[in-house]
Amino acid sequence: MSQPSKPIDWFPYLLLVPAVVITLVIVAWPLAETLRLSFTDASMNPETHYVGLENYQKMFARNFPEVVGRTFAWMVIGVTLKMVVGLLAAVLLNAAVPGRTLMRILIMPPWIVPIAIGVFIWGWMYNGQFGMISGLGQRIGLLSGPFEFLAFKNSAFMATIVTDVWIGTPLVAVYLLAAMQSVPRDLYEAAWTDGASRFYRFRRITMPMIMPAMATMSLLSAIWTFNSFDIIWILTEGGPRNATTTMIIDTYKTAISRFRYGEGSARAVMIVIFLTIFSLLYFAMIRKLSKKGAM
Amino acid sequence: MKKLTSILGAAVVAGTSATGAFAAEPLHMIMCGDDTTPGIPVQQGFIDEWVEQNPDFTVNVEYVPWGQCQEKSMTLASAGNPPALAYMGSRTLKQLATNGLIVPVDLTDEEKASYAAPILGTVSFDGKAWGLPRAFSTKALFYNKALFREAGLDPESPPTTFDELLAAAKAVTENTGAAGYGMAAASFDNTMHQFLNLMYSNGGQVVDEDGNFAFDSENNIQTMTLVQNLAPYSEPGPVAYNRGKLETLFAEQKISMMIDGHWLLDRIPDDVEWGITPVPAGPMGSSSSLLITDSLAVFKNSGVEEAALSLAKYLTDPDHQMAFDIAEGYTPIREGKAVDDLLAGDASWSTFIDIVSKGGPEPLVNDYVAMQDAIVEAIQGVVLGEVEPDEAVEVAQEELEYVQ
Repeated sequence: MSQPSKPIDWFPYLLLVPAVVITLVIVAWPLAETLRLSFTDASMNPETHYVGLENYQKMFARNFPEVVGRTFAWMVIGVTLKMVVGLLAAVLLNAAVPGRTLMRILIMPPWIVPIAIGVFIWGWMYNGQFGMISGLGQRIGLLSGPFEFLAFKNSAFMATIVTDVWIGTPLVAVYLLAAMQSVPRDLYEAAWTDGASRFYRFRRITMPMIMPAMATMSLLSAIWTFNSFDIIWILTEGGPRNATTTMIIDTYKTAISRFRYGEGSARAVMIVIFLTIFSLLYFAMIRKLSKKGAM
Repeated sequence: MKKLTSILGAAVVAGTSATGAFAAEPLHMIMCGDDTTPGIPVQQGFIDEWVEQNPDFTVNVEYVPWGQCQEKSMTLASAGNPPALAYMGSRTLKQLATNGLIVPVDLTDEEKASYAAPILGTVSFDGKAWGLPRAFSTKALFYNKALFREAGLDPESPPTTFDELLAAAKAVTENTGAAGYGMAAASFDNTMHQFLNLMYSNGGQVVDEDGNFAFDSENNIQTMTLVQNLAPYSEPGPVAYNRGKLETLFAEQKISMMIDGHWLLDRIPDDVEWGITPVPAGPMGSSSSLLITDSLAVFKNSGVEEAALSLAKYLTDPDHQMAFDIAEGYTPIREGKAVDDLLAGDASWSTFIDIVSKGGPEPLVNDYVAMQDAIVEAIQGVVLGEVEPDEAVEVAQEELEYVQ
């Protein structure tokens, strides 16, 4: 005797509807619309025509590969520095030293201060005539005269990275500090009993235990850094001579400053593709390392 | 009860129709900047007068910060929700017109005659005017007399040619603690503007009379060579400086010369001993100035185009415009008694007003930002020593032809 089939309970699905609708409206629809626009000549002109792959061809015919390379260089250097400095800061903040709470508070301002204000302050610091970095350099004899950090390609590129690291490091440090504090104390006590040195305990207990947090934070940081707009725009607007023009700046200039929505959308689509590939590769690498027992 | 309902119903109908009869149509106007400048109450007074004469309309003025106002109007228009009237840099008019977003402005012969021809040229192409000039500026060379004296130069004989400009910049740099020349080379619109002042003073062009790009010329190579030669005698790192930052350096007496508008006088301390002279002439030209106007543009498809044009003409009527110019401290757009009074009260205006007839407009092109990027990149390449002037000019010409 067959059992009567259980009626489907629709209520849980009903509860999901608002979330699905919101996701479709604020994520899926803009993405689909951007993809559609990338195949059109959408511009200030109200009349729009489909142009196939023309926007993508134009993009690659220009300096796009150079922009992509620069974007990845900016991201890799920035994220690496943020992770290294953030890890060092987390270790220091986790150490049982007097004034630790105060230090934990003092590390937050770069993250708390509105980005635009922080970047403007850095802009003044990079100024050759009035900025403190150039002034200090001259005082200690490193510079023979005023030096404008934003006036030259390499120094402007590095200056934007330094500012990005300043803004991004506190979050990394606090996140890693939280991960460090979740490591069970008995592991350290057992290692200490066995005579393990401080560095050995850090290398063999702390690092493996916080590695998942580091992996997550570095991926998030990579995505944020890749898409970072305000720091570069406020400091250099992508100059001098495009030396700080990353993909997001290039997209903004094309789509918003020049009203070439179709061409700008093609660039935005490429950003989504690059970040998706990067994330997949990154997770594959993490999985591989986990299987090898490195994590 | 029935009677009461009927009365109430009649009242509602009457009220509705009365509202319909007197509902004034809103006219959306976008202005750049904030509403605190001295010209704004003057403008509002004229708007109120116009509304009084045109009771079918109300005018909603929206003030948008300078950095976003043009983009806002253009984005609204391209999205099909245009303002009726907007304050725009005249350089954007061709792009707006070719995309069918604004309507041409029909000017009577009398109205045309009220403007100096070069000023009308900043808003005209294909034989039509596309905006009504609302704000105007010309430029001249400011110099620091004390620094000239310290450098062994005669402060009463400012440079009049490219060669003299270079020689003066060199003398100041080598004999004082200041830089000889203030050069704007940042990724910013006024980097191009500074260059165009020198370019017009050497007979150069960006676009010729037939609308073709004419940037790659001997005139412009010479001007770019001047930029190259001036760079070592400018403030350190010109690529980090736009005109606004140079104004601070001039006020601090860290540079001895810079090209700027009359407003610089409001920004320098009293102890700075300044002089003003026309932009020095190149070997192939005579002193000139870039003429920059901002305009009131009437947008298509707002539904109130005719009223918007009427309001724009009312605001820019010679008397009303002059009152606005004087209140704001702008270079007067038209001639007249008020200009004579201005000159009588402040002789420093004469250099800026006398140059109008010899000035050249901001080039009207289909993609202004692309043109600006091409020219700024050429200037930066020369200043950074990455390209020679002839190559910079040639590449800029190619870029201009490609992106347009």
